[in-house]
Amino acid sequence: MLDWMVWTVPTALVFAGLALLLVVMAVWARLSPPVARRGFLRIETDRGDRLYIGLISAAVVLAGWIAISDLSMWLALGCALLVAVVIGIWG
Amino acid sequence: MSVAGGQVAGEVVTGEAPAEEEASRAPLKRRDNRAWWLVLPVVLSVAFTAVIPLMTVVNFSVQDVFSPVDRVFVGLEWFQSISRDPEVRAALVRTLLFSAQVLLLEIPLGVALAVVMPRRGAWVSVALVLVALPLLIPWNVVGTIWQIFARGDIGLGGWTINNVLGINFNYTLDPADAWITVLVMDVWHWTPLVALLAYAGLRSIPEPYFQAAQIDAASAWATFRHIQLPRLRGVLTIAILLRFMDSFMIYTEPFVVTGGGPGNATSFLSILLSKIAVGQFDVGPAAAFSLLYFLIVQVFCYVFFTVLTRSGR
Repeated sequence: MLDWMVWTVPTALVFAGLALLLVVMAVWARLSPPVARRGFLRIETDRGDRLYIGLISAAVVLAGWIAISDLSMWLALGCALLVAVVIGIWG
Repeated sequence: MSVAGGQVAGEVVTGEAPAEEEASRAPLKRRDNRAWWLVLPVVLSVAFTAVIPLMTVVNFSVQDVFSPVDRVFVGLEWFQSISRDPEVRAALVRTLLFSAQVLLLEIPLGVALAVVMPRRGAWVSVALVLVALPLLIPWNVVGTIWQIFARGDIGLGGWTINNVLGINFNYTLDPADAWITVLVMDVWHWTPLVALLAYAGLRSIPEPYFQAAQIDAASAWATFRHIQLPRLRGVLTIAILLRFMDSFMIYTEPFVVTGGGPGNATSFLSILLSKIAVGQFDVGPAAAFSLLYFLIVQVFCYVFFTVLTRSGR
């Protein structure tokens, strides 16, 4: 039935991860509602905002890396995750 | 913006309110979350029309697809080739330049137009209809109008520039002329949108502000700078976002007027993308291209939105 979506294992894992992330954030919000605050980004954000900014920034790191560098994409993934985590905690 | 925030919005925070206040909130206290079902149709339609197709695009972007059963996983190869393609990079620079010029021209022009439009009387309707006229014309018709208008032989605009002003103007041969034609066409088509938004914003400013300015003998510029412009922040945010997204994704008008030429002078990202996706039917590279394009739009819109809405706080 889903043949037309031409799924691959890596992309399925990525989307499953994203879905899981949304579920975790929703459950977390129910257990302890998010609080808006200001970090090094200098704008008021709650943890959902920081997740969004972190994911977009990670995507930018990956896209920039692949456009200019020949180094391993695993290294890029590491840097992207690091950026997302830093924004998530201190952003 | 936040998923987590959206989840909480449905709950009613009770806290330790006084008994009287508690009683007045009694119907809300039951945490009746059935209203969430009303959002379901939107969620379903967005999933059906946007999320699932986008997921499919992601799947296409990592494969060389010949048919649903005949496909090869290529990893990030398409992203690499597209992001390093000189033609794509040139188109990106061109599109960013075009969007910047569109914003720099249309926003001030639209605000200026809104300021000089009559505030009351019979001329209000006349001015509104005249200003709104270009917005009512479909994109491809605008393209056709300007394709003829700017021609040196049979178009009024092109003929006037060539024969009255004595300037050699030919948008089919000269890249600069083609660029100017597409830019002026966009300004003609979309400045009215900015003007109408700004006009609505200006009309919502209460009269006492202007009376106070008059008592202080404020100049027209001071009134504009300190009363009108700050009050336009909201509508201008929307105008800038709409005009950025629209100009960054412009396709139909340049396609009709210049077809991306002469050479590649007006080949914007969307024209190049459709050439790869529809012309060559290279769905893998086209999917990778679309995702990179989407990422750029996301980043710009989020930065614009954040800067414009939060800078005042």
